Amino acid sequence: AAVRSRAEVDATLQTAKLNPAELLPAVHCLSFGPEAGGGECCLLQLEPGLCAELEAGRSLVIRGEKDEHAVVCSKDKTYDMKIADTSNMLLFVPGCKTPEELNADPASCNVIHSQIAGFSNNYWELRRCRPKLKKLRKLLMEEPYEGPDSQKDQTSTFSKYTTEDLLSLIQASEEEILHQLQVIDACKIEGYWRILDFDYEMKLLNHVTQLIDSESWPLSKVPLCACLEELGSLEPREMIEHILLSYGRKYVDDAGEVFFEMREDKICRAIAQMLLQNAVKFNLSEFEEVWQQSVPEGMRTRLDQLQGLALVDKSSRPETIFLLKVEDLPEDNQQRFNSLFGIREKWTEVDITPYIQDLCAEKQTVGALLTKYARSSMLNGVKVYNSRRPIS
Amino acid sequence: SLPHLSHSSGTGALAQWVLVELQGEVEPRQSGGLAGSLLGDLHYTCEGVPVLIVGHHILYGKVVQLEKPFAVLVKGGGAPQPSPAGPHGHYTVTALIKTKLLFKTRPKPIITHVPKKV
Repeated sequence: AAVRSRAEVDATLQTAKLNPAELLPAVHCLSFGPEAGGGECCLLQLEPGLCAELEAGRSLVIRGEKDEHAVVCSKDKTYDMKIADTSNMLLFVPGCKTPEELNADPASCNVIHSQIAGFSNNYWELRRCRPKLKKLRKLLMEEPYEGPDSQKDQTSTFSKYTTEDLLSLIQASEEEILHQLQVIDACKIEGYWRILDFDYEMKLLNHVTQLIDSESWPLSKVPLCACLEELGSLEPREMIEHILLSYGRKYVDDAGEVFFEMREDKICRAIAQMLLQNAVKFNLSEFEEVWQQSVPEGMRTRLDQLQGLALVDKSSRPETIFLLKVEDLPEDNQQRFNSLFGIREKWTEVDITPYIQDLCAEKQTVGALLTKYARSSMLNGVKVYNSRRPIS
Repeated sequence: SLPHLSHSSGTGALAQWVLVELQGEVEPRQSGGLAGSLLGDLHYTCEGVPVLIVGHHILYGKVVQLEKPFAVLVKGGGAPQPSPAGPHGHYTVTALIKTKLLFKTRPKPIITHVPKKV
């Protein structure tokens, strides 16, 4: 295409009856670049902070398989992507200067030939969302680690995942994924992330608690070295250390020795799971008795240790308790509520909170979730929540 | 094969582009597509008001600083990216857009054939 000259620009101004004296001297002659119509360019609207990240040289990643809605991930956050249509035409122009820039640079070229790189009538909107981490547990539960003697590990048809594998499969940022791996007590074995098989995990825990008992160590001061020495012949040292890290808080004393303060709540909770998984439900008072007897000497069991793990049915006579793990429930908000209301028609806020807490978005409260997905009513003077719609 | 949106140039700051927002659709005057064809002349008044002359129309607009800037994504890897996570991307962030020229006013037609008095 012919390149416009100053004379042509001036002629157009004259025809348009615009006074050059009222205009800045520089003009941009806009034309469509060679790739402009190709749809190769698109726009992504940036949430606060993302612009700064890009300018600092960090990258964003799109994650999602064909059956998943795509998300954009920065180093530590995850965003849903949604197409937004506009009735206007958006042209993207490189090298186009604003009036400020033109005024600031008196040497700016008189006739600037700008090529429009592309155009669109839509763009991608981003909205911060919860990382989609349920899949992480699902993948690692395909082959839980059963210990070094397990035959399963030898087979080649084994699904095993490295950090890179997880990054490409999970719709979450790297930091969110690494944090979740810590939360679920995953460990790296031979370069692959593994979750322990629960029975194996309890076996390891039992070794440790029995040793604590036989050595009469205080629960707040369990020595790492001695554990490794005494138990190293029974289990791999990495596993002993892993179980201590999972169920204790590591610290170093003044002499530089490593100790663990055992986590009473977590140990009691694990033992409860071990007991509850063997039956559909239990008589509550019988369970509480057995449970207290099963935990290490010096530990006290409390029902609130079981939030998000088990549910007490106060309406049955006698009262019962059954296993209900929040991590087994759907990840999607509506599906989660449908599932919960299918299990129990009416919930108190106290009972339902542990099962919806993880659904809260950045600044969202449990109350807000309940307002949106449930309907409240009074039952025997207590506020309860039930489904907004009939559950089929 | 994971789309990565990464910094396209290793040589410093990301390019800053400008968005021009027009009402209606852009259509090629001649058959053969838009590529290479002229859109128009963009002027600014001394007060900084953008004026766009497109064909026989004058459009007056305003400069808007975007509350939410845009990233321009271009398909294709551009220059190969050193990427720790494996394959380089299907999308590259080529530029940022923090400013737009919004033309919302009705175009004023340019009357060209005014018979001269003899």
